[in-house]
Amino acid sequence: MTPLVQVRQLEKRFGAICALDHVSFDVEAGEWIAIMGPSGSGKTTLINILGGLDHVTSGQVMVDGLEIGQLGERELTRYRSDKIGFVFQQFHLVPYLTALENVMLAQYFHSITDEKDAAEALRRVGLGDRLEHLPAHLSGGEQQRVAIARALINHPKLILADEPTGNLDEANEAVILNLFRELHSSGHTILVVTHSQAIGNLADRRLELEHGRLARISVPSLAKK
Amino acid sequence: MGSMFWRILWKLLGASRGRLALALVALSCGAAITSALLNVNLDAERKLTQEFRTLGANVVVAPASTGSDAALADAAVMDRIAALGDPRIAAAAPYLYMAVSIPTNSGTQPVILAGTWFDQVAKMNSWWKLEGSWVASREDRMHCLAGRTAARQLGLAPGSHIDLRSGDHNVALTVTGIVTTGGSEDDQIFTSLAVAQELANLPGQVSLVQISVAGTSSEIQAVTHRLTDALPGLEVHPVRQIAAAEGSILGRIRGMLFWTIALILTLSALGVLASMAALAMERSRDVGLMKALGGPVPRIMRLFLTEAGVLGVLGGAIGFAVGIVLARWIGGRVFGVAISPRLELFPVTVVLTVAVALAGALPLRLLGRVRPAEILRGE
Repeated sequence: MTPLVQVRQLEKRFGAICALDHVSFDVEAGEWIAIMGPSGSGKTTLINILGGLDHVTSGQVMVDGLEIGQLGERELTRYRSDKIGFVFQQFHLVPYLTALENVMLAQYFHSITDEKDAAEALRRVGLGDRLEHLPAHLSGGEQQRVAIARALINHPKLILADEPTGNLDEANEAVILNLFRELHSSGHTILVVTHSQAIGNLADRRLELEHGRLARISVPSLAKK
Repeated sequence: MGSMFWRILWKLLGASRGRLALALVALSCGAAITSALLNVNLDAERKLTQEFRTLGANVVVAPASTGSDAALADAAVMDRIAALGDPRIAAAAPYLYMAVSIPTNSGTQPVILAGTWFDQVAKMNSWWKLEGSWVASREDRMHCLAGRTAARQLGLAPGSHIDLRSGDHNVALTVTGIVTTGGSEDDQIFTSLAVAQELANLPGQVSLVQISVAGTSSEIQAVTHRLTDALPGLEVHPVRQIAAAEGSILGRIRGMLFWTIALILTLSALGVLASMAALAMERSRDVGLMKALGGPVPRIMRLFLTEAGVLGVLGGAIGFAVGIVLARWIGGRVFGVAISPRLELFPVTVVLTVAVALAGALPLRLLGRVRPAEILRGE
């Protein structure tokens, strides 16, 4: 079976700086991958390229049969809308839209809005009673759960999360990790950038980057069990 | 555009009330002045040509030049002018000029007599200063007016009696008023046309006809051509200095209003631009996020441009209403009359204001170039 994600000799340069240096790996559908490494090792750049937010300098990145380095701006926009669900460290919710409208915004850019579906997505992340709240009236953990509901609403092939618990306290981190566990067990493919060993241990595999190079790919002991 | 579009737009409008209110004020001010000036412009020509018509004749009908005093037009020319029924002819006054002598203590004093129709003269020369009163009707054979200089020389005042002589004819009249015009009329005595024709023994004859035509230079020219066709054998010519001055004044006013409107709209656009530039800074993160979520640039831009368009429509409508009040005020101050509001200017004002709002929304249009990866990284 063809892997959902195939990365071959991926190189990304910002001027003289090499952010990703000939990185290659595959991700199977349904896998949970933790991308780890020190700051500046190229984790976010990798996620941005996989998410179609940044362009490759050289190499090949195939996601669900699409070589995203060959896509124009319009196709990349469609790719992000159809195939990718983003979860950011800073949540990135639109401040003047309610929780429900933030989820519907992703529907709006994808196809047509369905208020019932959006409300159901929020209920699944435990925010059934917060539909009409503005982000400013939600806790950090609740905002991140809205972001997860938004990421899932269009049934993406790939969920890309950049430090999803980086701005959360321990209690909220646990809630978000449980949600990721549920997503994983329901068959979603997840790539999470994290510094957290706890998240790294929950993943199927860990990709460790150092200075833009893929230093090692490991299987956490929990996954082995 | 579905309901979600309007839902987001509504929230956008609510989220940036302060900055949008500033842009709305700039647009409303521009629209108000534009609407007022357009209203004034439409009415200005009509009002000004009415005003001009009180400044004397601008077309003269005279016999073809032969160098002889005998070349006098028939008074029936007045019937032919009236038969034209041209509404642009505001007044027409026949004149018969002649020299008469007036007995004084030291002998006789020669003076120019002008026989005319007083009602028409009064209509086209309302700026003449009059001491006493006008002669009541054009048929009046008992009264006359005296020019200021003639009156001084002859010692005349309202109520004075004078004898006018020409050859074997003479007539006794009472002066009803003394006119001051600042022109050659100040040296003349004015009687009814019939009295002058009787004294000169020239029944049915006039020296010339002065006509006051309302309208622009081209309209005056058009009436002149009509008169020339209707009055063969007579010369019809506009008083060029007056017609040209009127045309020039109207042209300058039109030009001034046009450039004022252009300037005001440019200033409005700059006001909107300033608000929108600040707004664009605030919204760059939202646009980056929308693009990251797969929002196509045209769809995102449609939101912001519709927002600017809504502001333009609102600003145009508010400005039009304020502009009507402003136009009335300007009309009262400048022309002494209320300018009537022209509803056909509403769409013009709104379209212009929307165009200004869209021009001022340039910074929002530039948001389409935002790179989501940079924005989401916080760069």
